[in-house]
Amino acid sequence: MQSFFQTLVSGLSFGAVYALVALGFSLVYRTMGLVNFAHGAVLMIGAYVASTFYLSARLPFAVAVPAAIAVTGVVGLVIERVLRPLENKDFDLMLIGTIGAGTVLEAAAILIWTSAGRGVPSPVSVAPLIVGGVRIGGYNLVVIGIAAAAVGALALFLQRTKRGAAMQAVAMDHEAATAVGIHVGRSNALAFAIGAGLAALAGSLAAPMLYVSPTMGDSLGIQGFAAAILGGFGSIPGAIVGGLGIGVIGSFAAQWFQGYSDLVTFVVFTVLVMIRPTGVFGERTVNRA
Amino acid sequence: MTAFPARGVLSGFRPRLAGLAVLAVLAWLLPYRLNVYWISVADTALLFALLAVGMGLVMGTAGQVNLAQIAFFGVGAYATGILTTHDGLGFWTAAAAALGFAVAAGLVAGLPALRVQSHYLGIVTLGLAVAFVDWITNAPVTGGDSGLSGIPTPPLFGIDLSSQYLYYYLELVVLAAGLLFGYFVVRTPLGRRMRAMRDDSLAAGAAGAEIGVLRMMAFVLAGVYGGAAGVLYAGQIHYIAPETFSVADMFLLLAMVIIGGRQSLAGCVIGAVGLTVVQQELVNLAAYAQLGYGLVVVAVVVFAPSGLVGLPARLRRRRTRVVAALEPFAPSALSGTPASVTSGALLEVSDLVMRFRGLTALGGVSVDVRAGEILGVVGPNGSGKTTLFNVISGLYRPSGGSVRFADRNISGARPYRISQLGIARTFQHLRLFRNLTVLDNVLVSMDRTRSWWSWRYVCWPWGVWRYDRSLRERADALVRGFGLASFASALPGELPYGIQRRLEIARAMASSPSLLLLDEPAAGLNGDEQRQLAEIVRAIRDSGVTVVLIEHNMGLVMSLCERVVVLDSGVVIASGAPGEVARDPAVLEAYLGKSALPGLPTPQPSEPAPTEAT
Repeated sequence: MQSFFQTLVSGLSFGAVYALVALGFSLVYRTMGLVNFAHGAVLMIGAYVASTFYLSARLPFAVAVPAAIAVTGVVGLVIERVLRPLENKDFDLMLIGTIGAGTVLEAAAILIWTSAGRGVPSPVSVAPLIVGGVRIGGYNLVVIGIAAAAVGALALFLQRTKRGAAMQAVAMDHEAATAVGIHVGRSNALAFAIGAGLAALAGSLAAPMLYVSPTMGDSLGIQGFAAAILGGFGSIPGAIVGGLGIGVIGSFAAQWFQGYSDLVTFVVFTVLVMIRPTGVFGERTVNRA
Repeated sequence: MTAFPARGVLSGFRPRLAGLAVLAVLAWLLPYRLNVYWISVADTALLFALLAVGMGLVMGTAGQVNLAQIAFFGVGAYATGILTTHDGLGFWTAAAAALGFAVAAGLVAGLPALRVQSHYLGIVTLGLAVAFVDWITNAPVTGGDSGLSGIPTPPLFGIDLSSQYLYYYLELVVLAAGLLFGYFVVRTPLGRRMRAMRDDSLAAGAAGAEIGVLRMMAFVLAGVYGGAAGVLYAGQIHYIAPETFSVADMFLLLAMVIIGGRQSLAGCVIGAVGLTVVQQELVNLAAYAQLGYGLVVVAVVVFAPSGLVGLPARLRRRRTRVVAALEPFAPSALSGTPASVTSGALLEVSDLVMRFRGLTALGGVSVDVRAGEILGVVGPNGSGKTTLFNVISGLYRPSGGSVRFADRNISGARPYRISQLGIARTFQHLRLFRNLTVLDNVLVSMDRTRSWWSWRYVCWPWGVWRYDRSLRERADALVRGFGLASFASALPGELPYGIQRRLEIARAMASSPSLLLLDEPAAGLNGDEQRQLAEIVRAIRDSGVTVVLIEHNMGLVMSLCERVVVLDSGVVIASGAPGEVARDPAVLEAYLGKSALPGLPTPQPSEPAPTEAT
């Protein structure tokens, strides 16, 4: 039982990172109809920038992360401008176009930071919390807390601010949004920048848990994407549930099947998607003839 | 006369054949000019080309986002490796088994396609590819990280295939055979249905295509090509390890297909060969090469979405304009027996209920359609007319009640089944296959075979060829009869709206139905076109086909229909001869509201009025 909870806790903290990745995917997909396969690479850039600020510039972690979010957000604006012709277009083109953008980012990371990865020490040095024999690392709590705060802030932004409301309007019908005077291009750019910022946050938080390398985004990106689909693509609560779900599935798969955790995770994912293609919070759409 | 370049199966055949012969000779002579290093690059390029043709079939032709192709490649290679080194099988026995395993992998990866499409399918298949890599890096039987070595060279009638030069010819022959078979599939009934499914799976289903089976077949094809490439790879390199089958290689393969042009198999080959060579040229500048490759991919996608092979056509299309004219409709196009006057109803809809969660779109509709009549279905917007059509044609499964067609219960049957029983339909908002020519649109629907007919592709290709030729003759005649001959090789999107509407009727009639459902056929047509439509519908009926049409244009309904059924809020509020129905107080109330009733002039049966609002 104790090991069960131990596995659960570790799954939840990875799940919090996946949830942030899924949230970025979903926000961008929902507002601009772009399925962004470069998201993992953006995350990797965020992790590198944060670790550079933290390790090389010796800024405190709490300063390095927001700085990385800002820098990555700007990178996001550039990508969005380049890929704008693909928005709401043929999926095959989006797929390969965003993969291409991801390849460029990976190459840039190799040129800037070399292909050797770097480890990032945990910025939290408090002793692990022990609840009923289950060790909960201080940093795990920080990750879960920050992720929760970020989700809350995003929800507030979308529901309580004018810009957020405009973004929701664009998501529902971009032509109607233009008709009522919303600058769709600007709204999309902002959505993409926020998505990139979320990826940077996920990357910075994952940096001390994983190893920062130019390819770290590949696996995190795929897991985050799977999380978004599991929860219901385009849904914010779905991204959270899906992220935690993928994290927990992966953690138990690693516990029970060791090396085969990816195999088990994706087979389970495939079965779940076939049972419920729209995910937990997905909308059911009816084919109209 | 012909304003469009012909795109038939034999069009441009001779010049193309000459071009192919030149290419074949060049490919045959190539090894004489290459050193040992470059011949191995050429071998790799041919393998990627074979993989890319498989991708082109599953993605470009059938529209299934398959990111597991690299895993099919891996299954082929690993099965060959394990069966030859562990189990001591001969190379070709192992190769045959490996193809079987790759096809099985295709079926497994294709299963999710029955439930999800587009990016969902993309991530599920990619996930399965990741799962496969995870398995080969961990399982003892695959040699884990260090891989499998000592795979034997395939024996071939004493030809020494350990020479990279001779191996090149083996791969060249396999690629040529794969390409030939691929083209054969794309241009004959199976591939045509797949392309139709890619453009619009709903309309393809209504035209008689079994969507689920077609999707699985596409994945099987991808599995065969991937598996064959894997077998050849194992025999060439003698050593396999997990890193060859990574997600990064999957993306490279995808880039080849998209850059070359996914809807053309030749484009896939060009992309594969081109990218392999470029990659080898830049192998010493890894990071810069990756940067350049990424930028090229983005540029191609943004500026040349149809890939390199699509570029000439894109430039040409900008200049050509439609100059051909629509020819008059010739009733002789409809070969059929005159309506056999049967006493019973051809279609019996009884107590049909259709609910969407809380909304009741049809609340117990009963309608009889008599053989040989033209029945009008009218009603205000949202009254359930199109829902009724969707249930009859099998797009929706009814929540209650039954539909009987020619004394057979068809409620809840799949669309392809209903199409094959003899019900054809058109759609309110046109649903033509937009990347298929006018002739191909008609051909898809004219093909009445079941999916299992496709075994002929493997065992009896001449039969396929002959059937296709007979289909083409009949389709030519039908297209001519509908006055569309000068547009036969045009894409629907290039044609004016009125012609597209006529094409939809021609496509529906191509399936030789006994019942035709027309959903607002006059919407958006001008007066002249409406008169032509009335003439076509009468001719269709006179050829023995029963017609049901939904229409808002009351003038047309009054002049054309012998009987009219009025729907309002999902129930039948009136039915009978057009004149009676038009005076029915319940009908007037539904259309105009209660207060508007007294003193209104009632519509009279007349020729369609051109200015009638729809």
